[in-house]
Amino acid sequence: MRIVAVTACPTGIAHTYMAAEQLEKTAKALGHQIKVETQGAMGVENELSVQEIREADVAIFAVDIEVERRERFDGKRIVQVPVQEAIKSPKAVFEKIKA
Amino acid sequence: MVHEYTFQCPLPNGLHARPASLLSEVAGRFSANISVTNGRTTAVANAKSVLALVGIDVKMGDSCRVRIEGEDAETAHAALREFTRNVLPGCDEPLPVAEAGLGVVLPRTLREIDVPWHAGTVVCPGIGRGIVVVAGGLALPADLAHEPALSRGQEQERVRRAIASVRASMEADMAARPSAVEAGILRAHLAIVGDVGLGEKIAALVAAGRSAGQAIVKAAAFFAARMRAAESIYVRERAVDVEDIGLQLLEQIYGARIQAAGVVLTQPSVVAAENLTPRQLLSFDKRFLKALVLAHAGVTSHAVILARSFDIPTLTSVTEVRTILTAGQEAIVDANLGIVIPGVSPPVGRYYEREMRKLRRRQERFGRHARTPAVTLDGLRLEVGANVATTEELAPAFAQGADGIGLFRTEMLFMDRNAAPSEEEQFAIYVQAAKAAGGRPVIIRTFDVGGDKPVPYLHVRPEANPFLGCRGVRVYPGHRDVFAAQLRAILRASAFGRVWVMVPMVSALEEVRWVKARIAEARAELESAGLACDPAMPVGIMVEVPSAAFLIDQLAAEIDFFSIGTNDLAQYFLAVDRDSPDVAGLYSARHPAFLRLLAKIVEDARRHGRWVGMCGEMTRSPRDLPLLLGLGLDEISTAAPEIPSLKSAIAQSSAADCRVLLAKAMACRSVAEVEEVVAGFRGRGGTRSLLDPDLVAVGSDSASKSEAIQEIVDSFYAAGRTDQPQAIEEAVWARETVYSTGLGHGFAIPHCKTDAIAANSIGVVRLEQPVEWGSVDGEPVRCVILLAMRESDQDDAHMKVFSKLARKLMHEEFRERMLAAPDRAGLLTCLADELGLSTDQVG
Repeated sequence: MRIVAVTACPTGIAHTYMAAEQLEKTAKALGHQIKVETQGAMGVENELSVQEIREADVAIFAVDIEVERRERFDGKRIVQVPVQEAIKSPKAVFEKIKA
Repeated sequence: MVHEYTFQCPLPNGLHARPASLLSEVAGRFSANISVTNGRTTAVANAKSVLALVGIDVKMGDSCRVRIEGEDAETAHAALREFTRNVLPGCDEPLPVAEAGLGVVLPRTLREIDVPWHAGTVVCPGIGRGIVVVAGGLALPADLAHEPALSRGQEQERVRRAIASVRASMEADMAARPSAVEAGILRAHLAIVGDVGLGEKIAALVAAGRSAGQAIVKAAAFFAARMRAAESIYVRERAVDVEDIGLQLLEQIYGARIQAAGVVLTQPSVVAAENLTPRQLLSFDKRFLKALVLAHAGVTSHAVILARSFDIPTLTSVTEVRTILTAGQEAIVDANLGIVIPGVSPPVGRYYEREMRKLRRRQERFGRHARTPAVTLDGLRLEVGANVATTEELAPAFAQGADGIGLFRTEMLFMDRNAAPSEEEQFAIYVQAAKAAGGRPVIIRTFDVGGDKPVPYLHVRPEANPFLGCRGVRVYPGHRDVFAAQLRAILRASAFGRVWVMVPMVSALEEVRWVKARIAEARAELESAGLACDPAMPVGIMVEVPSAAFLIDQLAAEIDFFSIGTNDLAQYFLAVDRDSPDVAGLYSARHPAFLRLLAKIVEDARRHGRWVGMCGEMTRSPRDLPLLLGLGLDEISTAAPEIPSLKSAIAQSSAADCRVLLAKAMACRSVAEVEEVVAGFRGRGGTRSLLDPDLVAVGSDSASKSEAIQEIVDSFYAAGRTDQPQAIEEAVWARETVYSTGLGHGFAIPHCKTDAIAANSIGVVRLEQPVEWGSVDGEPVRCVILLAMRESDQDDAHMKVFSKLARKLMHEEFRERMLAAPDRAGLLTCLADELGLSTDQVG
């Protein structure tokens, strides 16, 4: 599957990046294609373009705060989980997108 | 005839001294025996004795039985009922609000211990632990305690006379229209001195063969002990009043023999006292004096100034000091937090052992800077001198790295005595300072008395406004002989080292000319006596009166140097008495107008090529240091214990950045704006690396989550990366409450964004024993990595390292490497390696 994802946590120092790493790592192992945008203390990094979002099968939001520029995802199927869940059990997150 | 009735105490603060004294007054009008029984405790009191009434600890709602027996019982009954029903409910007074301690927030680890503590105002920071020794309490000197009594009649007469004369002097004070507060205290004291219970107790003891002194001490101790056992803090406080009265009676009978009683310290001690004289403080063996807890000493009192120069952790405004601390118990004074903890339980002991370790580490780290001159990153030299008042402080000051003595206060030599010190006596002291300095300058300030420092033999008249009265240089013309003797002593000492003389409180040019004429005379006298002196001994003034600050141009033609006394200058300039609680909030050396004044003084002095230094409170705080560096002073002189950390901070500063900061601060509209600008300043330590060997530890003994966090934050403090470790801890915990940062696999990554950290930092501890963290996988944590990031300014390079580290933690190989590293160096290399930091980026 082609997946886009956004991670964001309240301080944007640690969990945003841990979740991103976890999603990338797990996607690779499961044979998915993924691009993860981080919205942390450094602002938006690895930004997702409208086209990338359009071409994706599904979007994962691993966030504890509002996603910035959420309108980019209008009409896209979104699976939203708390940041911690992406860190703790990333495989379960990928189970969810199958449904 | 017997009458009885009961009433319920209607007073929120209980039957404390003032309502009790009114009740006893009513009872005292009748000859009947009148008793009050507290139904809750069954304690019985003679209703005519305030002390007895207070001692039965009647609290709000307690049911009290009044029993009246005697001829006039019926009228007494009616009068008392009337009083308890209609007058008593209106007798209460609001309890005084504790001023200190409102801002105290205990660190997490200490909160978890649930420790009893009391707040005070910090006047010298630090931590001290020892056995409580109460100074100034009521005790007879040994000789009097064992002196046999005279005849009973003679002893009784001594007591009677003493009571009458103490009473008479209080009544005279009362007649002199005291303030409301003083009048209240006087009334309470009058009630005690006239108390029938106290009088009877003393009489009974004398009748049993005791001397008047022994009887007074024993009777006062009896009542004081009962009061101290009361639940109401208000009643407990009155115990000190009883001892006060006892002391006054003893002084009346024995005069100077009472004052001679001193306190000898024989083990590490926490000295508790209402207040101390400088002499008392000097008399303590400093090896054993670990902390001071005072009730009424002002921030600028000499006891406090001395305590600071000896670096003795000191709290004041602990108004109930005598009820909080009991002689013989162990106590800890945490004058960093501003609390005193009576009694030391094992967890409190553990907390403070760790705390002391932190302070030692910081001291060791800063100690490296002590021996070298303090130069900023861009090459500006700032001398850091020490303020001293006694020769005992010289060696410790130079050991801390003082570049000189920026202020030798000499008034201490003149206080607590009946005549001025002789020229020889002073010469011996000054020459000792000149020699100890070994070529470094010693600035001796001529005696500064008057104001809050009256000296009886110099006859400074009582003034309505002593700070605007005869003090400093203004005292000298009236005491030319005393001043001349001091000048000769200083001049003679100048032959033995680099001695400079400095004159306090100059407000006009004429004063400087007058002083210079006296110096010339003194020099001529010495020459004709064949005594040596430095012919070019520099002469300077304290800049502490605003008029002098605006007269630098003219003064510069007359003198060699200036030293800015920030305490008085700010007080006069802002028209604020900072010891007055109502206006103290207006006092701030960070007032933009004050900063402008300072900048003008330095600029004017510079233009004339004059040396300009600063002594006073403002030099103490590392947070004010960037402002001082911005001013371009030649020197700051401060309390010796501050020197190493100030020198270290200077070495990490950029003077250019500090000048920009000062300009910004001077343009601010308010103190609050200046505070904000200063807090956001990152000149200090701003360029420092993220990692540093001192921030990494393996084999840590931290036994809980809070201890582990504290340990890392403490390492930031020890490394000089923060002056507010507690603020960082609070920020970390605030983040932790959102959800635990335990990420599983035995790792946790607590973090925060706060300007309390001076430089972005990574701290790591590997724990000997895993601790519970509330991790996602429920496993305890063995390795803690704490990220602290500044809030107001971002450093993307640092942020990238943080995020890289966070990502790495998701990989088992990295985690295993972290756990397998054999020691601190290995752990550090592993981190630097994985994060792609070069070695110069790890401190």
